[in-house]
Amino acid sequence: MGETLTALLTGFGVALQPINLLWGFVGVTLGTAIGVLPGVGPALTVAMLLPLTVKLDPTGALIMFAGIYYGAMYGGSTTTILLNTPGESASIATALEGNRMAKRGRAGPALATAAIGSFVAGTIATILLTLLAPLVVEVALKFGPTEYFALMVFAFVTVAAVLGSSTVRGLSMLFVGLLLGLVGIDDQTGQMRFAFGVPELLDGIDVVVLAVGLFAVGEALHVAAYQSRQQDSVEKVSGSIWMSRSDWKRSWPAWLRATFIGFPFGTIPAGGAEIPTFLSYAVEKKLTRHPEEFGKGAIEGVAGPEAANNAASAGVLVPLLTLGIPTSATAAILLAAFQNYGLQPGPLLFQTQTTLVWGLIASMYIGNILLLILNLPLIGLWVQVLKIPRPLLYGGILIFATLGAYSLHQSVVDLLTLYVFGLLGFMMRRWGFPVAPAVIGLILGPLAESQFRRALAISQGDPSVFLTSPISASLLTLTALLVLVPWLYKVVREQRSRRRAASGRP
Amino acid sequence: MNAPGRGRAELILSLGVLALGIFATIVAFRLPEAGGYARVGPNFMPKVVSAGLIVLGLWLLAEFFTGGWREAVPDEAAERGEHPFVAGAFIWVSAGLFAQMALIHNAGFVLAAMVLFGCVARGFGSRRWARDLAAGLAIGLAVFLFFVKFLNVNLPAGWLKPLLGTAGI
Repeated sequence: MGETLTALLTGFGVALQPINLLWGFVGVTLGTAIGVLPGVGPALTVAMLLPLTVKLDPTGALIMFAGIYYGAMYGGSTTTILLNTPGESASIATALEGNRMAKRGRAGPALATAAIGSFVAGTIATILLTLLAPLVVEVALKFGPTEYFALMVFAFVTVAAVLGSSTVRGLSMLFVGLLLGLVGIDDQTGQMRFAFGVPELLDGIDVVVLAVGLFAVGEALHVAAYQSRQQDSVEKVSGSIWMSRSDWKRSWPAWLRATFIGFPFGTIPAGGAEIPTFLSYAVEKKLTRHPEEFGKGAIEGVAGPEAANNAASAGVLVPLLTLGIPTSATAAILLAAFQNYGLQPGPLLFQTQTTLVWGLIASMYIGNILLLILNLPLIGLWVQVLKIPRPLLYGGILIFATLGAYSLHQSVVDLLTLYVFGLLGFMMRRWGFPVAPAVIGLILGPLAESQFRRALAISQGDPSVFLTSPISASLLTLTALLVLVPWLYKVVREQRSRRRAASGRP
Repeated sequence: MNAPGRGRAELILSLGVLALGIFATIVAFRLPEAGGYARVGPNFMPKVVSAGLIVLGLWLLAEFFTGGWREAVPDEAAERGEHPFVAGAFIWVSAGLFAQMALIHNAGFVLAAMVLFGCVARGFGSRRWARDLAAGLAIGLAVFLFFVKFLNVNLPAGWLKPLLGTAGI
């Protein structure tokens, strides 16, 4: 406890240095602005900026990336409320009530409850992160390669198989990601794999090219080909943005409940913020004293999901920082940002890079305050950003997307690869394949492989270690249950309904 | 049963995953063993991953042959809340990206960005060529100067080298 406090104070010493304060400010401003743009999420933003930061100092750069990460969450809520086209899946729940509030002329209070709720939830969740991280680190220090490998398998399967609508399509994308992760030189033996003599492939497929291709190019192709030519109508923010007494009274219990729903979901590999936002929405709908307002713009339905969204985003950082396990696409790209600096998130990072880790955590407290200040008074500015016509918006997005890929090796090959991944992203969107498993597979796959081979090297090639280590055995059993139980349930149910149909009863 | 168009796409994509798995398997089996103490070398994970892709391709095929993919995305654009496919838009955006690849080394980053921007804007339905190209030029130039002067990222100046002076390569 005392140690954590000392470490956190050191962290504040780092985060409050003018240069780091500046990077944090740049991060949250950029994050908000880009989060407001429809179709651009935090994963894409961090990915596009990744190659351009090689020359920055790691602490400043990572503080900026973290700022972009939760700034984009704040910005996304503005878009959802005013535009009704959620920028990311975690905003869908907010759209249900927030956009209807805006249509009824209550855009101000909707934006306010989202921003203040995000601040409350973000701050509480950061406190929880501060308290929980050292405990997880203590446990994780006892993990060997065997346990890590089992943990990664668990993360792969939950992210790919359990979350999306279709297990098989989620797993297919995970394996495509894993295959892409194998491209390049094997770092244990120097063996070339799947590179086919192309020099650009020897370093492996860069996460920037994959993520920017899937998210930016794929998205642009999809929106261009399938969306309407008309500009979306932006709801006006008229009247006061301040919440009335009853708005406050209805909002704050929702914020608190949502924080304690969102945070735990963020910490486990459950795909980030999507499930807890819907869960919080359902809880608020059930507990409200104004059920007649739900579906027509109930403020609890904005307050809860937005708070849950931010609490979950902070929760995602627990496994990322303490174990090095990314549980969302954005977390995977943040992990790549650490790797660019030769840093590997995990328990050892807390010991070797104390100032960096705690500076980063402290910067999140400051970032939340900055975001509260940025979001409410500057709402008029963000509304202007929302009004950028689509042709200009996507033209700009693609300039930045190609810049990110091109600047890796100054090579046209990377631009071509980017387009190929763009086509893949287009097809994935069109036929319902999830994107996150591919990105997580690419980043986490090589780490899982090296833990696997290290574990076997220690056991002299005896694969039974994965079952004799109690932690590893229970994680692998849990993984198997997570896949088999829903599948068996579905098979049994299908057969029962078939039997019923055969016997002629309804 | 499936609409014929959707069935074809599902069949092609299932076969695509299967083919990727088979191709990866062939490559994986040509990799050396070189196991060492671990008894598993650089060829082990490739084998596991390609076997996984084959299994998943077969799984998708099995779903296809037993009534279509489960939880499939609706085939009609309207059912997905989208508009019908506009081939022209898709081609304009693609053309912009290929034009940029062709231009970036000779004409330079700024002009390539301008053409990319113009084509993408056209793909998104804009007819205001002059405005779009001017906006693309301005953004390209601003990005170029910021990244080259400020972040020391090397970008080709191309035909604009006389104007841009020492900046870029």
